[in-house]
Amino acid sequence: MNKLAFLILEGLKNVWRHKLTVFTSVTSVFLTLMIIGSLFITIDNSNSLIKYLRSKYKIEVFFKKEMGDKESKMILNEIRNISGVRNATYISSNDAIRIFKDQFEEDIHEMLGYNPLPSSAVVNIIDTGQEEFSVEPIIRSIKNISGIDTVKYQGRLIQRIERFYQKFLNAFIIVAGVIIVITIFIISSTIRLTIYARTEMIKTLKLIGATNLFIKTPFLLEGMFHGLFGALLATGTLIGLVHTGNLYINKIITFQINYQHTTTFWLIGISVVISLIGSYRAVSKII
Amino acid sequence: MISFKNVSYSHNRESGIYNADLQIDAEDFAFLIGPTGSGKTTIMRLIYMDLFPESGIVTVNGYHSNKIKRRKIPHLRRNIGMVFQDYHLLTDRTLFDNVALALHIVGIDSAELEDRVMDVLYEVGLDGKEDRKPNELSGGEQQRACLARALVKEPEIILADEPTGNLDPIAAFELIKLLEKINQEGTSIFMASHNYNLIKGRGHRIMEIHEGKLRNGL
Ligand SMILES: Nc1ncnc2c1ncn2[C@@H]1O[C@H](COP(=O)(O)OP(=O)(O)OP(=O)(O)O)[C@@H](O)[C@H]1O
Ligand SMILES: [Mg+2]
Repeated sequence: MNKLAFLILEGLKNVWRHKLTVFTSVTSVFLTLMIIGSLFITIDNSNSLIKYLRSKYKIEVFFKKEMGDKESKMILNEIRNISGVRNATYISSNDAIRIFKDQFEEDIHEMLGYNPLPSSAVVNIIDTGQEEFSVEPIIRSIKNISGIDTVKYQGRLIQRIERFYQKFLNAFIIVAGVIIVITIFIISSTIRLTIYARTEMIKTLKLIGATNLFIKTPFLLEGMFHGLFGALLATGTLIGLVHTGNLYINKIITFQINYQHTTTFWLIGISVVISLIGSYRAVSKII
Repeated sequence: MISFKNVSYSHNRESGIYNADLQIDAEDFAFLIGPTGSGKTTIMRLIYMDLFPESGIVTVNGYHSNKIKRRKIPHLRRNIGMVFQDYHLLTDRTLFDNVALALHIVGIDSAELEDRVMDVLYEVGLDGKEDRKPNELSGGEQQRACLARALVKEPEIILADEPTGNLDPIAAFELIKLLEKINQEGTSIFMASHNYNLIKGRGHRIMEIHEGKLRNGL
């Protein structure tokens, strides 16, 4: 009875040992691709998010008091010609009074007996075609135009977002690199175990004239299947997460996380490459 | 087809073969006899280049043991049908798959594959057992399975290492007759055995090995 218990335990251990290694390699591919996939989705969506922010971005230009409508409009044309400027809208000092009235329900002209507000312009910038978003050159060009008093802009915010985004991207790429290497090792040791489990078969195949390629291919494919399986699980999970995530986000704002289907192809491609490298490593070391 | 020129190989100080000369030509039928431990299997392994001589040269189908590249060895073995003393059947595959494997290695149309496997199983008397795993076959049946795997690829040479070891005298005699038939179709046969009675008086060349010394003609 003791012997039987021992043997059953041994058998279970064996099953568990193999299940566990396959499980480990599939899981590590899965996790790697979850990370890389999130990276792809983040890149796709933060580009559109930043584009959105840029399109909402505006620079306020205040003209010097002594500038009349005519001079102001000339300056406006100069601003419009600066590269990176999408359009500029002129707000005369009379318009400014009206806007003030709308917002504060006070007529400042009547209160003070004169109009203290300068004429101004709202400048919108181009939101596409730029990798690096930088308003500084535009601001500098505007400031160089004579007749302009002050320039107001909230450039810091977008720059901070973009700088954070860059750091985040770099960290993510490093993490992805490390985890890819780990996954390659895990797949390679999984395949090595399955090769060791079949040394008898390999020996026989060699004796009856199988080439190394013939012997190696099934093991390479085995590794590739682990990779593919992990990739399918990962893309399925990512698509599911984006879907449910959108359901929740849509309740709050009208932003949609966009899942591009090229991501699926990339993830499958990456998993195949990773798992082939892993199994190739194992195969070329042993067989 | 096969030639040994002054070949020596030793596993250790006491055992091995020494200064062996041997020649087997196309369509030959030759026996190698000798007692247990005399070096028969060692000679077979030298032929299919699982072992390489310490001195002298083994030549098989134009491949020389001192020059052959590692990646050419599979090509050498594909033209040799080997019946191993210890069978080397894959335990997790059916008889059919074991035999078919030899054809997969050579690379063959799957349309032709089934016919050839079934024909050869019939030839060795294992038809009807193609779905069994090796452990569901008797020792003698496993031996014949190994022969079937060697025959199926229609090799130029059959190397049979003790192919009758697990057969009763009648079955062993049947097997010799089968090999003779294959030989008449043009395949060279080189068979090792310690059962002299089985092979004597059949008009084939007999070589004897004793304590590592090979003697031609008996
Ligand atoms: N791998 C090995 N390592 C050490 N010695 C070996 C090895 N293989 C064979 N030998 C020794 O070499 C000698 C020849 O062995 P071999 O297998 O060629 O004998 P054989 O003639 O085929 O015997 P049998 O009839 O029992 O099959 C024996 O003494 C054996 O012990
Ligand atoms: Mg032997």
